[in-house]
Amino acid sequence: MLEEETSCQVGGSPAAEDKPLTADAPQGRLWTWQEGDCTVIRSNARTGPGCHDNCGVLLYVKDGKLKKIEGDPENPYNQGRLCLRCLAAKEMIEHPSRLLYPLKRSRDKRGQDCFERTSWEEAFSIITREFTRIIDAYGAQAINVTQGTGRDINGYGPLLARLIGTPNYGMGFLSGQGCYAPRLMMMFFKVGDAFVCDYSQFSPERYDDPRWQPPGVIMVWGNNPVVANSDGTLGHWVVECMKRGSEIICIDPKLTWLAGRAKHWLQVRPGTDAALALAFCNVIINEQLYDADFVSRWTYGFEQFAESVQGYTPDRVATICDVGEQSIIEAARAIARAKGACLQWGVAVDHTSEGFYTGMTMFDLLALTGNFEKPGTMVAARPCFGVEETWLASQKAIDALEVPANPGLEKRLSGPYPALAALGMPSNDEMLKALETGKADLTVDEAGQPVSGSYPVKAVWLQTNNTLACMGAQPQRLLPALQGTDLNVVVDLFMTPTAMAVADIVLPAACFSERPGLTGHHPYYLGAIAQATNPPGECKSDQRIIFEFARHFWTAREGEAVARLASPWETEEEFYDWILRDAPFTYAELKERTWAYPEFCYNKHEKGLLRPDGKPGFNTQTGRYEFHCLALEGFGLAPLSGYSEPPESPVSSPELAEKYPLVLTTGARRWGYFHSEHRQSPTLRQFAPWPEVMIHPQTAKEHGIGEGDWVLLENDFGSCRMRAHLSVRIRRDTVSADHGWWFPERDPGDGTLFGVLEVNVNQLLPMRPGRSGYCNSYKSQLCRISKAADTASAGPSDSED
Amino acid sequence: MEHTNDSKGFGLLIDYRYCSGCHSCEVACQVEHGYQPGVFGITLMQLGPEEIKPGKWQYDFLPVPNDRCDACVERSAAGKLPSCAQHCQAGCISYGRIEELSSMMAHRKMVLFRL
Ligand code: SF4
Ligand code: SF4
Ligand code: SF4
Repeated sequence: MLEEETSCQVGGSPAAEDKPLTADAPQGRLWTWQEGDCTVIRSNARTGPGCHDNCGVLLYVKDGKLKKIEGDPENPYNQGRLCLRCLAAKEMIEHPSRLLYPLKRSRDKRGQDCFERTSWEEAFSIITREFTRIIDAYGAQAINVTQGTGRDINGYGPLLARLIGTPNYGMGFLSGQGCYAPRLMMMFFKVGDAFVCDYSQFSPERYDDPRWQPPGVIMVWGNNPVVANSDGTLGHWVVECMKRGSEIICIDPKLTWLAGRAKHWLQVRPGTDAALALAFCNVIINEQLYDADFVSRWTYGFEQFAESVQGYTPDRVATICDVGEQSIIEAARAIARAKGACLQWGVAVDHTSEGFYTGMTMFDLLALTGNFEKPGTMVAARPCFGVEETWLASQKAIDALEVPANPGLEKRLSGPYPALAALGMPSNDEMLKALETGKADLTVDEAGQPVSGSYPVKAVWLQTNNTLACMGAQPQRLLPALQGTDLNVVVDLFMTPTAMAVADIVLPAACFSERPGLTGHHPYYLGAIAQATNPPGECKSDQRIIFEFARHFWTAREGEAVARLASPWETEEEFYDWILRDAPFTYAELKERTWAYPEFCYNKHEKGLLRPDGKPGFNTQTGRYEFHCLALEGFGLAPLSGYSEPPESPVSSPELAEKYPLVLTTGARRWGYFHSEHRQSPTLRQFAPWPEVMIHPQTAKEHGIGEGDWVLLENDFGSCRMRAHLSVRIRRDTVSADHGWWFPERDPGDGTLFGVLEVNVNQLLPMRPGRSGYCNSYKSQLCRISKAADTASAGPSDSED
Repeated sequence: MEHTNDSKGFGLLIDYRYCSGCHSCEVACQVEHGYQPGVFGITLMQLGPEEIKPGKWQYDFLPVPNDRCDACVERSAAGKLPSCAQHCQAGCISYGRIEELSSMMAHRKMVLFRL
């Protein structure tokens, strides 16, 4: 290993003249070899199907066909291990109902099973014709380009929006863009970088890197990482740390496997986490357990913060959260005294209305205890070798595109939310209103300045996005809203409820073994996806669909020459070489080494590695961690963290709670599924064949509900049905409902859209963000339950159970 | 990895303090042997969830090789770990000689299976 002081660059040096020094040694690492009658291809499994990780895989290929997928024991990321989804991925990749050809359907037949096969040429021509008509009549902002999550899209979808010329690009109909985006923006506002828990994943030597130490305490907060594997964290890294001494403090309304092994498990009432974090801070400040050195050297606004937490006494917060006062005090002391503490948080943070502030409280706790940039604490994670597109929208890449159209950023539909405007995505809550009313009202521009005007939204492009089954709240509103547009395009692997309900054009996407690509969903290294087989039928990768459509679109609009400037790529390899234009590798070089780790170091804030001016400190206005957040103040929002009751809760709306006495939390991950995907795979389906709602046995008894019964869940927003699973793992006052369900085995022509609206719990959740424009209430609602009388139409027949 | 052509004297040591119940061992075995969904050479068992005493939970998983397990002899002959042991996400299945494995039984919740 090199001396870190001399070699460390945050994320690695982008444009080196010579080949850069990497932390890993690629000599002797093969990317392909022969084993018996199979060719083995070493790759990284970066979607589709969807996942937030990029595990190293060995793809065994014979006669052009994929024979088996194994974990790559040499890949530092997963060290040979695989979750069941990659182990059984062949069932998805080779599934007989994969979409194989572009499909078209006339607009008046939306919802009916009468798609016709078409050619790519014709599909692109229809989209181009409609887009051109819409752009000429209303402007390009009338086209809303959306992504889902999981499939490799975060960095590439924004390029499509730019290539079309629309400023409206977001996570399609996710209320409050409530999935990590709020936490990312909170981190950028308060500490200037995205920080993640250090499980040694930045080093190719992993746990053996002598600089690394396991976290003393891992706060597993609103996350079940071993199942979820969210946001580039392989959950079982937590288990490896436990073997090496890390203790768990788990905050979850449900007994997870990690909660059962935790030193402290606080079974909070859903949506109250911010109060708990502030009580931890209260104890730590008042018992003088905080890291005074870090606080004085590297933070801003501590005095005000210390004062503001005085109201959050353990005694009061014990009542708010419904946990023991003593356990709050003990957990707070354990966090403060730990040799390194880090935060393993989950989307639960974003899934309560004022979740933006929940995330802030958790980071305040980390700052108070000085848990930044030391081994086993929170460390800054930046794109590797300057390649941003593998992970998030890259302004650099967007600016580098030579597109004639003006994106009209002032027309992005940010609603009345300047803090959300800073994300560069529209408000989906406003977008749905615009679809419903035929008019998008502008309030603030991309810089948060007031603007006025309005326009209609006429077309929606949904790529990697099954919004009726998954991301969108109130799908019962989304369905008619999307059916009312002039054109909808869906790009996916399978015929989804969303495609069946609203698409005029369906484009078939490729899986990870069928395409080249790059890894890097929350990148610690840069790696290549190596193509092992040809895509089936006429499937194309999501990226190829984007750049080929852009070429077609601009050829039709402005002619060949302009189109070649806007979208110059003929092959995917050329496209990735462009993505890697500032990196020290070509795609072919990266494929040959499969992974490349930049040099990594700790204490980057002390070394002046985080700020563009090279000065020590964090990349914020003050150069410090901001307890008092100046950016938020600039947006007219409260600059200090605080707790607000969820809008619907037994405390804030007691009358409503009389009608709907149970707290509803949704969306916990199940083994084998990535959100709304994977229900087609018999191997993965066997572990969770039905949508389930977890109910405490006592609560179930009070409602006359038994294990496996169909249950009706209802509130004023809507209803759905699921099967009961009785378990003491959940609080008595809370039920936990699966998300993302539909029944791909249903007859697509039966008019039920694969049963999606029978079982989609999002019908009970509003499209309604918090005050910042971020977050939603997907995990803190109210509902009531009853045994469902009619079960005939829900799900596959019982005999299959 | 030692190359072997039969499984005599070998075993699987399961450290179920760390088994998360992730099903990878089952699916790895199923896929390796071409079994139908639901058919495995190793079966995941569950203990609890039960609050043994206030704040102390038993909520454990334990994979048990069953009569379909052929010890992955083909893989062993090729110098590879049994598929369950390689893919176990918690790294809690060790494959090796019985004597070696028994000397590794350092704490509670460890089970040694003779293959
Ligand atoms: S976490 Fe994702 S990449 Fe890793 S094995 Fe599972 S599905 Fe594959
Ligand atoms: S050793 Fe092989 S056959 Fe036996 S359970 Fe493990 S994977 Fe299955
Ligand atoms: S693969 Fe490992 S952690 Fe997962 S269920 Fe099997 S033994 Fe447990």
